[in-house]
Amino acid sequence: MQATIALLLDTANFTLALLLVTLGLVVIFGLMNVINMAHGEFFLIGAYVVVAVSNVTGSFWLGLLLAPIVLAVVGLLVEWLIIRHIYHRFIDTILATWGLSLVIKQGVVVLFGPGAQSVPNPIPTAVDVFGVQYPAYRLFIMALAAALALATYYLFFRTKLGLQIRGVIANRAMAASLGINTRRMDRATFAVGSALAGFAGAVMAPIMSVDPQMGVGFLIPSFLSVLVGGVNSLVGALIGSGVIGGATTIFSAGISQADAQILVFLLAMIIIRFLPNGIIGGRK
Amino acid sequence: MLAVENLVAGYPSGGSVLKGVTFDIAKGEVVALLGRNGMGKTTLMRALAGQLATQGGSFRLDGRDLGNCPSYVIANEGIGYVPQGREIFKDFTVEENLLMGVLGKPRLPNRLPPDIYDFFPVLGERRRQKAGTMSGGQQQQLAIMRCLVGQPKLLLLDEPSEGIQPSIVDEIGRTLQAVARSTGLTILVVEQNLDFVETLAGRALFMENGVIADRADRIGQLRERPELVHRYLSI
Amino acid sequence: MTRSARLGLSLTVLAWAGLGLAPLALDDWNIGLLTQYVTYGIFALSLGLIWGQAGILCFGQAIFFGIGAYSMALVTLGKLPWLGDSQWTGLALAVLLAMVVAALFGWILFQGRALSGAHLAIVTLCAAVVCEIAARRWEFIGGFNGLFNVPPLSAPNGDPLSTNATYFFVGIAALLTYLVSLWIGRSPLGTVLAAIRNDERRTLHFGYDVRLHKIFVFTVSGAMAGFAGGLFTTQFGFVSPPLVGFALSTEVLIWVAVGGRSVLMGAFLGALAVRAAENAMSSSLDQYWLIALGALFIVVVVVLPQGLFGKLLALAPPRRLGRGGTR
Repeated sequence: MQATIALLLDTANFTLALLLVTLGLVVIFGLMNVINMAHGEFFLIGAYVVVAVSNVTGSFWLGLLLAPIVLAVVGLLVEWLIIRHIYHRFIDTILATWGLSLVIKQGVVVLFGPGAQSVPNPIPTAVDVFGVQYPAYRLFIMALAAALALATYYLFFRTKLGLQIRGVIANRAMAASLGINTRRMDRATFAVGSALAGFAGAVMAPIMSVDPQMGVGFLIPSFLSVLVGGVNSLVGALIGSGVIGGATTIFSAGISQADAQILVFLLAMIIIRFLPNGIIGGRK
Repeated sequence: MLAVENLVAGYPSGGSVLKGVTFDIAKGEVVALLGRNGMGKTTLMRALAGQLATQGGSFRLDGRDLGNCPSYVIANEGIGYVPQGREIFKDFTVEENLLMGVLGKPRLPNRLPPDIYDFFPVLGERRRQKAGTMSGGQQQQLAIMRCLVGQPKLLLLDEPSEGIQPSIVDEIGRTLQAVARSTGLTILVVEQNLDFVETLAGRALFMENGVIADRADRIGQLRERPELVHRYLSI
Repeated sequence: MTRSARLGLSLTVLAWAGLGLAPLALDDWNIGLLTQYVTYGIFALSLGLIWGQAGILCFGQAIFFGIGAYSMALVTLGKLPWLGDSQWTGLALAVLLAMVVAALFGWILFQGRALSGAHLAIVTLCAAVVCEIAARRWEFIGGFNGLFNVPPLSAPNGDPLSTNATYFFVGIAALLTYLVSLWIGRSPLGTVLAAIRNDERRTLHFGYDVRLHKIFVFTVSGAMAGFAGGLFTTQFGFVSPPLVGFALSTEVLIWVAVGGRSVLMGAFLGALAVRAAENAMSSSLDQYWLIALGALFIVVVVVLPQGLFGKLLALAPPRRLGRGGTR
């Protein structure tokens, strides 16, 4: 019983962090039809912002606050330098952002070295949850990620800005002909998507090994979540993250982590193969 | 008010469709653009709306050259576009569709005016309904209102009566006429339905092979000079 | 023939002639390096064939390269006793096994509603990651450390080939691979592939079996990658899990994109150029080399989608598609 509760908590934890990264990917892909292969490295930068800031100032919280801001700026820069030149060349956006991810990864190696960095746990206590001693910081991550995901959904489905963004996603040319500044929507969305990834990286830093490869480690599960849930849908992102995050933690409990990864990838590939539009399928 | 001069435009891959279009429209006029299929009418509308890049020439609205502006700038300068096929947001409610008409216009308040549903009452009855579930005629009414709520100076209407039941076509024609008379709205309309053209428009331009080939300076000439209709419209 | 096509043909012939004459100018050490680059060039050709000709963007091309490399190592190390330990058997198994796996994988990818674009990229990328993890976990093929002491290419009497002989063997293999790819690209089959690349749906409506064409070319490409992998092992003497993985898969994408994805010779020379540049600059630029490579890649993709050599090396269209379109 206690093991089950702990497993459920772990699952929720990983799923919610994954959801933050996935949401960023989905909005960028949905709005701009850009596959951002550097999204994992945005996560990576988020984690290293925390490393750098807590090395210099000793404050984890300042780093957590700065990470999304830094990433929003990075997102704006990337959009301006690279993405806007290749909007209509779908394959080239994959390639160019892939090149970017190499640059960022190696840049981190140059600045911080190839080894793993550790970030001390900022809330090193445990809390009793239904009889399970569970790390308080993980509960904090869950609460924060859930709140942020809800805020994102609220932004997209309940605000006038969200309505405009969804309008651009549905019919870019018509939205522009109604006066909506599509360029500004693109920039804003790219910045918000990047900031979400950076925040996820920052908040996960204390419970992960912070090394230059951690971005790829998160990129692939979040890509799988997008495809499994259904491209172009925020609800799909939630379902996909649930499936991938859930399967990963549950398999890892029974078998080695490497085998669990293999199983999850195979599972995801089968789902993608038979449901090319994702689990939510017809709903675009 | 609208001055189109030697406009050349077309599709990125396929060369130019418009081969030097020139005409003027004065404020408050309602002008019909007539011609057979494939002569460039819709291309002209899309070019004026900024959805196609101009390759040569220019068009000015109240003296400002909008030739190479992105479409959101053109929309904010006062050209409203109701495209062929209506292109409403099918998954949005009627109200959300109408909101889209004002949200992109910084000079307008970002909410709907209270009298918005007076023009087409059916939209008010269905304002919480998904737009995609409505009939073609209702969708056309929605597309027109979505454009009008943004208070354009010039309305570009592409085939508003296409595939719509006659009673609604009449209603649309009468409403547009009333709006044009009361607000001084200028309209350029592409249309195949000559009855509709005669009730709404004051004069007509004929398009052939990417240029303005002829004109009828009074709409009555459509009946007085049957050779015009025969020359440019019959198949 | 237009001027640019004449230029493309002359430069292509010149490049091969230059490769043939290289041993006159280079010492043993550099010939050894060049042999490796040419092997990578074969690998790049395999990707150029599916990506440039048929528009299939595969992020897992190293899977087939790695299968070839492991096959060669397993056979020549005598790990598969019933097959003997001949290098010819090893090379044959490298090609065959990679081909079979590519055919199966291609069938999974392209049957029914084929995956394309983002889906294809991500599924192949994940497949590469899975294969790398699996290779690390499989003790029979050496697990995490891989397999060592793979013998170099040898003459029939068992003596290792000289550096120059190895170079010519690999070079001729590369030329043959190039000619096969070129022949596929310029045959009527290649025209259908180009049609698929341009507009898959329209090609389907013209009555071509798009699925079969894609699986076929994917299979051929897999065989080529496996062949390159087999040759590679004999030069390096060892195989390890990264050979089937994600990093090498993306490296080959870079070579092909930088060289010129739409022209086979561009893809081939892209591999040579990037590897040579890496060798020349990685010592002076040290850890900044990867940053420079990534930046070069971005610039090429954004500014020069045809790659560095794509425009120069473009050949004339096949004669049967010549003026008037008569056959």
